[in-house]
Amino acid sequence: MNKKQRMFIRMVVASLIRRRSRMIVALLAIVVGATILSGLGMIYYDVPRQMSAQFRSYGANIIFTPSGDGYVSEEDLDQGVSIFKKEELEGFTPYRYENSNIHNLPVTLAGTDFDSVMKTSPYWHISGRLPMGDGETLVGAKAAEKLGLDIGDSVSAQNSFMITEDTDLTKIPDYEIYTDPETGEKYCDHLLEMQVTGILETGGPEEEYIYTTFHDISSLTLSERGYDIVEVSVAAMQDRLKDYIKTINSNVSGISSKLVKRVTASESTVLTKLESLVFIVTLVVLALTMICVATTMTAVIAERRREIGLRKALGALNSSIIAEFMSEGLLLGGVGGIIGAVLGYFFADVVSMNVFSSSITFRPLLIPITIAASVLVTGLACLIPIRSAVDVDPALVLKGE
Amino acid sequence: MSLLELKDVSKVYGELHALDKANLTVEKGEWIAIMGPSGSGKSTMMNIIGCMDRPTSGQVIFDGRDISKESRKKLTEFHRDKIGLVFQQFHLINYLNAVENVMVAQYYHSMPDEKEALEALERVGLKDRARHLPSQLSGGEQQRVCIARALINSPQLILADEPTGNLDEANENIVLDIFKQLHKEGTSLVVVTHDPEVGEVAQRIVRLEHGKIVSDKKNENFTE
Ligand SMILES: Nc1ncnc2c1ncn2[C@@H]1O[C@H](COP(=O)(O)OP(=O)(O)OP(=O)(O)O)[C@@H](O)[C@H]1O
Ligand SMILES: [Mg+2]
Repeated sequence: MNKKQRMFIRMVVASLIRRRSRMIVALLAIVVGATILSGLGMIYYDVPRQMSAQFRSYGANIIFTPSGDGYVSEEDLDQGVSIFKKEELEGFTPYRYENSNIHNLPVTLAGTDFDSVMKTSPYWHISGRLPMGDGETLVGAKAAEKLGLDIGDSVSAQNSFMITEDTDLTKIPDYEIYTDPETGEKYCDHLLEMQVTGILETGGPEEEYIYTTFHDISSLTLSERGYDIVEVSVAAMQDRLKDYIKTINSNVSGISSKLVKRVTASESTVLTKLESLVFIVTLVVLALTMICVATTMTAVIAERRREIGLRKALGALNSSIIAEFMSEGLLLGGVGGIIGAVLGYFFADVVSMNVFSSSITFRPLLIPITIAASVLVTGLACLIPIRSAVDVDPALVLKGE
Repeated sequence: MSLLELKDVSKVYGELHALDKANLTVEKGEWIAIMGPSGSGKSTMMNIIGCMDRPTSGQVIFDGRDISKESRKKLTEFHRDKIGLVFQQFHLINYLNAVENVMVAQYYHSMPDEKEALEALERVGLKDRARHLPSQLSGGEQQRVCIARALINSPQLILADEPTGNLDEANENIVLDIFKQLHKEGTSLVVVTHDPEVGEVAQRIVRLEHGKIVSDKKNENFTE
């Protein structure tokens, strides 16, 4: 670095440091602009993700059913869910339905996985708690009313079947045998004793069911089999969901997957509207902050017309004055951009916390974009007043006052 | 060859002839005082000589070269190399300290050199004030910084517009001593003033009135 470059830096630094109060005002304007830019940018890019996470609270958006007459096997299910991107798959819950009797009234038992059920049905409202293992049951509100059940009650589900030569009664832990007096056929009444841990309210058909573990339902029916239906919750937009469905239907033979239309259609209309709203707001705020930065920089430069005239009188060429003032402006723009990009992240996070109650995803790409935009806007904002100041006759500027 | 020649130079602002067909010759090493009442065109003349302004008509010949027709950029380069300016107001860059203000002139001329700049400040008696900002300097000290800045690039001509206008007598004498020193070293000086005492020390006194040169006399009282 030669002496000339050192002097150049010395002047720029002196101007930034010794004119601190002016520079802080300008920097503040730039920081505010950059913060809003990076913050709104992050919000804009995060809205679809945030919103689809929100929409997931309306329940599953894809269901798997068996493609033929059979059931969805464990292998098919594994293969099916492996097609989703890990970070998009919010959860999946298989169900197996069986008819049974309780207190001699017909009921539908639904075997499920209580660990994942809240991920696909976050709207479930449970009084009491979810069952934590075998021997416990969650009873739909309507079923509970019909059967007169309450939390803490014991309930026996009953499964009757005819005893044939093949029946291996040793497998059954708890049963009663009776003979039909008319036909002489022997029946086995298999009972499954369970404790009610919670009552389920959803406002939908789920209230009719009695939920148990898969193990309990298998031991009651004495049969292991696949699932009737699998609910899947995926944090993705409609188009992407459709792609997934296509892939699954053509790659996994045992599964027929489809969209839960009601959920996904409204999701994408709301999202599109919301996105364009955020986009418009971003643009407007951006335009306003640009104007604000530009006016501030214009004022800062206008103040220095005399200095520009003096430098010209000392023999500065227009080009070198532009270079000096621009590098000051660009430096400010860069520093303001860096500060703003970081502040913008926190700003977006606060907004996201308040609106969506979840933190924002950090988008590293927005940092260079914010810095570049900030440098560009500040540069442009400086260039115009510098150009006009530089064209002024030094004799005029230096005169009088 | 004369250092500088103004031939029928006029500067017209609308109806007003700020300078009206002025003819002036400055020899190398000469010390000229330009005097006249306020508004008579002294600063206008200085600006034209200093290549900061161009005449409406007439010729300005500096070192044998007609500079009245040159482009602005050429003019800037020319005056940077040949002329040191001292303004009517003390124009210093307020966020640079004394020595940095002097170095700015070096910066635009050739190469900044802090040692040389400090030497120039020493010449005007401001060595111990080199790190002060203009706001921390008195008016007289500021004017001396301006003079140090004007002479840093060893110009052929120093143009000073009212260099003592805002100074008390003590400071005025310091400035005049520096001028005497520069004159001895062979620098040409053109000093605008309406202070007779400042005029008295010059070799030649040129009087302006309403843009016209009304007298141009050798100063009988001039002493080397
Ligand atoms: N840019 C301009 N536009 C119009 N008129 C001008 C301009 N500059 C100077 N004048 C006029 O030209 C005349 C000469 O001005 P000039 O500044 O040369 O005076 P001066 O002799 O330096 O005065 P002072 O001693 O007060 O500094 C004045 O009447 C002034 O009003
Ligand atoms: Mg004047």
